[in-house]
Amino acid sequence: MSQSTSRSPIDVESLVENFNYRRVGKYALVVLFLGFFLVPLETGIMTALKTNSAIARSLPFAPPAGEGFTLTNLEYAFSQLTNSFVNSLLMAVPATLLNVLLASMAAYGLTMVSWRGQLVVFALFLVGVFVPYQAVLVPLAQFWNNMFPLAQMLEPLFAAIPFLQGGHSRLVPLTITHVAYGIPICTVLFRSYYKSLPNSLVEAAKIDGASITKIYRRIVLPLSLPMFGVVFIYQFTQIYNEFLFSFTLITGANHPAAPVTLILPAIGSSTEGIDFGVRMSAAFLAALPTIILYVAFAEQFAKGLRTESG
Amino acid sequence: MGRIQLDHLTKRFGETVAVEDVTIDTEDGEFLILVGPSGCGKSTTLRMIAGLERPTDGDLYIDGDHMNYRVPQNRDIAMVFQDYALYPHMTVRENIRFGLEEEAGYTAAEMDDQVDATAADLGIVDLLDRKPGELSGGQQQRVALGRAIVRDPEVFLMDEPLANLDAKLRSQMRTELQQLQADLDVTTVYVTHNQTEAMTMGDRLAVLNDGRLQQVGEPLTLYHEPANQFVAGFIGEPMMNFLHGYADDETFIGSGLEYPFDDRLADAVGDTDELVLGVRPEAIDVRRADDATGEREPGSHEFRMQVAVSETHGDQNVVSMTVDDEETDHDTLRAVTDGMHVVTQGDSVVVTIDPDTIHVFDGETGETLCNRLLETKPEFTAVSSN
Repeated sequence: MSQSTSRSPIDVESLVENFNYRRVGKYALVVLFLGFFLVPLETGIMTALKTNSAIARSLPFAPPAGEGFTLTNLEYAFSQLTNSFVNSLLMAVPATLLNVLLASMAAYGLTMVSWRGQLVVFALFLVGVFVPYQAVLVPLAQFWNNMFPLAQMLEPLFAAIPFLQGGHSRLVPLTITHVAYGIPICTVLFRSYYKSLPNSLVEAAKIDGASITKIYRRIVLPLSLPMFGVVFIYQFTQIYNEFLFSFTLITGANHPAAPVTLILPAIGSSTEGIDFGVRMSAAFLAALPTIILYVAFAEQFAKGLRTESG
Repeated sequence: MGRIQLDHLTKRFGETVAVEDVTIDTEDGEFLILVGPSGCGKSTTLRMIAGLERPTDGDLYIDGDHMNYRVPQNRDIAMVFQDYALYPHMTVRENIRFGLEEEAGYTAAEMDDQVDATAADLGIVDLLDRKPGELSGGQQQRVALGRAIVRDPEVFLMDEPLANLDAKLRSQMRTELQQLQADLDVTTVYVTHNQTEAMTMGDRLAVLNDGRLQQVGEPLTLYHEPANQFVAGFIGEPMMNFLHGYADDETFIGSGLEYPFDDRLADAVGDTDELVLGVRPEAIDVRRADDATGEREPGSHEFRMQVAVSETHGDQNVVSMTVDDEETDHDTLRAVTDGMHVVTQGDSVVVTIDPDTIHVFDGETGETLCNRLLETKPEFTAVSSN
């Protein structure tokens, strides 16, 4: 040791020591955060798979052992959620599609077409991003119930559709509301993407004689497909998980049009107390569609983004 | 057909003046080159002709029609962009066809025929079903050309179309573009910052600097009779030598050298004080000082200089020389010598500058006071009019 220090002017030993402390600290932090995020999830899944007595007797995060294992919680939760799954998808899929399409058009108009006052309009969109949902709940309810009772108007129509009830008409104002409130953030996302597209493509199309709508349809829309994927995932998750608008416009878990987020708080609770197994099962089932969407498509969309830009 | 007139065209972006008071009149079928350094306003001028920018002031006519407020699709123009701007999601066929779809009076079959014919002309038939991303730079360039040609426009606009190609391909495409333009006989406005491209391709050149038009003319006119120091320096490779100094009693006093005027130069200078002498590198005669004649006292238009750098090009050498004394930075003189006439760094040389080859510029304004004499002038006009 003394030899090595005398040979080189750099103090190797202290360098190694510093390095080690840093590494240990870093890994400790990583493990801590990993546990912080993963233990509750693991606990939830384990709870969903345990009988009530097993939940009471074993540690929360311990896996179910022997007779403590059951699937009845999941079965029960699924039967309770089936209708609301349909409702949620019936509302969230069209809302997201419409939302993304309109937002991309708006972003195109605000970014690639030049007209007077577009910055002011864009500023309004930005303001829209920051409007808190809580602030608009009462006016929203008044608008859809008193001023423009669209759900009531459409009720007979929905009653005539097989498998649906008249009450499902309430999904229509809910969908429109989601579209309206989702457009600002999606527009901002699209705008940043359109800013990165080379301007010369649009200019070339202009010189080729294409109109504004044709440029959108033939050039901009096909080029923004990867961005469509990204914004679709994001916005679908937002709308699917949204609670306040659903609660305001559909009112309760007992309504035939109630989406998943309205059913969840009510499930598994009764006068005898809370059935944690059913609760956890329902929670994970409810999260399933968004998880599937991420797992199935996120990689593809990311790949799409890379190839398009490279 | 497509005669383009720019009449006092001006473009301002806020406070910045991009193009100021540019007046150019092209002839039908002419190949006009807008040339100048980066940021000189040449691209903006082209974009105004294309209709992508609206002029702040002045008028633009194509074929006699006032164009200021007309959208690009109504101008009957086609443009080739520097980055080609091919639509990445379409095949080459769709790219070329895109512009045709907006033209009236074509059936689908006619459009396909037109696309095939254009592709055949440009030798890109094999590429028709590929996407632009799968093509090399040169192939993309051809597709971009095809997209412009297929619509048979009145005017071609090209914004540095060869800038992204490597040197070899560039000179090849240069020739092809010239041939194509001559075959199609369509008025073409071509923007470049590359003076070689400008000199070799254009019927006429318009040199811009700082948004202002410096001179319009045929390549050789600009080369031999530049209107000012900027044009003189911009046109020609290697660049014209400039010697800065002042006039004193019919003699030019520069840093480290004196050059007596002959009658022609003295007349042109008049009583201007600050002067810049310009002389083309190929007009300078260089010989080793230790040649037989090197022993005698240098004549009035000869200087002893020292070689600083000698670049070998094979067919010629470019020699940079400075006045041989210990003082601070003098103007460097560059000369082009014969390829076999090799001098090396540190050599002492005798430089002869014939007064007839000297251009004189006003040191303050840069205006030309007089250009070199051209004994061969009748000859060069005869050749160029062929």
